[in-house]
Amino acid sequence: MEHIGVRETVNFMGLTFNVETICMTWLAMFIVIVVAGLAVRSLKVIPTGWQNFIEIVVVWLQGQINNMMGRRGKMFEPFIVSLFLFLLTSNLLGLIPFMASPTNDLNTTLGLALLVVCMVHFFGLYFKGTHYIAHFFQPFAPFVVINMIEEIAKPITLAFRLFGNILAGEILIIVLLHLIPIWMPIPSVVWLAFSIFISCVHAVIFTMLSMAYLGNAVKE
Amino acid sequence: MIEINATMIAQVLNFLILAAILRALAYKPVARLLQQRSDSIKNSIEKAEADKKAAEKTLEQYKLQLAEAHKKAQDIVDKAEITARQEREALVAETKREIDKMKQTAQEEIQNERNRAFEQMKSEIVTLSLAAAEKIVAKNLGTKENDKLVSDFIANLDKDMLEDVK
Repeated sequence: MEHIGVRETVNFMGLTFNVETICMTWLAMFIVIVVAGLAVRSLKVIPTGWQNFIEIVVVWLQGQINNMMGRRGKMFEPFIVSLFLFLLTSNLLGLIPFMASPTNDLNTTLGLALLVVCMVHFFGLYFKGTHYIAHFFQPFAPFVVINMIEEIAKPITLAFRLFGNILAGEILIIVLLHLIPIWMPIPSVVWLAFSIFISCVHAVIFTMLSMAYLGNAVKE
Repeated sequence: MIEINATMIAQVLNFLILAAILRALAYKPVARLLQQRSDSIKNSIEKAEADKKAAEKTLEQYKLQLAEAHKKAQDIVDKAEITARQEREALVAETKREIDKMKQTAQEEIQNERNRAFEQMKSEIVTLSLAAAEKIVAKNLGTKENDKLVSDFIANLDKDMLEDVK
């Protein structure tokens, strides 16, 4: 029990890194790249195998991006698709025994959330200029305080929602295995199934919210 | 348990690298394929629409032609019927005429035959009568009386016999 949440760290060039998170991230990246490579190895007009999976993801996200972000959303498609595939793989990775999700580390989720929020502000300024700054003072000037709180809350909620759900899922798997004897596997299996569902849902939620935030900033 | 450190930077970089790799490796070809597919589907649908329109037009033309052909055929049949009727009537009239002619000819022939037979009979009767009369009056009558008798007989014969025959 005591090992939950304790992270092995290494110091490298004066910086501290969580080893497990980094390794699991690389594993997740590797899996995503392998799956993508398998999918595009022999692209055919009539899709087979992994090509179906990638096409479903791409077509679905293209539709969502088109709805949420309009014409300018096209340039964010590779980013959004990568985000979804990476989060899905990361979330599911933690459900395999002896593995951990990269997303059970706040560093990962907050990093991605900050990346998204930085992109929101950068592209907002790039596409809309002063109008983007002006919209923080809507409907009238004092609202800037509330708007700022909202803007700060965005990355925090985005990061903690994903982090909390994935970490809780993994913790409860371990707790259930300790609490319930091995001949009574039903609660663990049920929770595992639920965790698979949660993993997919939160990958979708993170991606959708990122799209919505970016959409607000770049939509005409 | 919750500790923000340099891992965050590493994770962002990791993700950006992944995004770059995926963009080059998977996204671009897949997006291109999807675009191609949607283009080809669009083209197919457009082509199908155009084909359908052309087919409908052709069908319309064919129907028109068929109707025309029907009309023409009907005309031809009608004309042929009229011609046939006329021919038949002409033929019937011709036949009737021929029959009439033949009848007339036959009647004439019969008349001729009868006249001829009558003439023949008349002369034979005369001869027979003469022979009979000769036998009866051979001894009694002289030549003068005989001639007168014959003339009377023939005159009577003409009157009675011809009445009977006619």
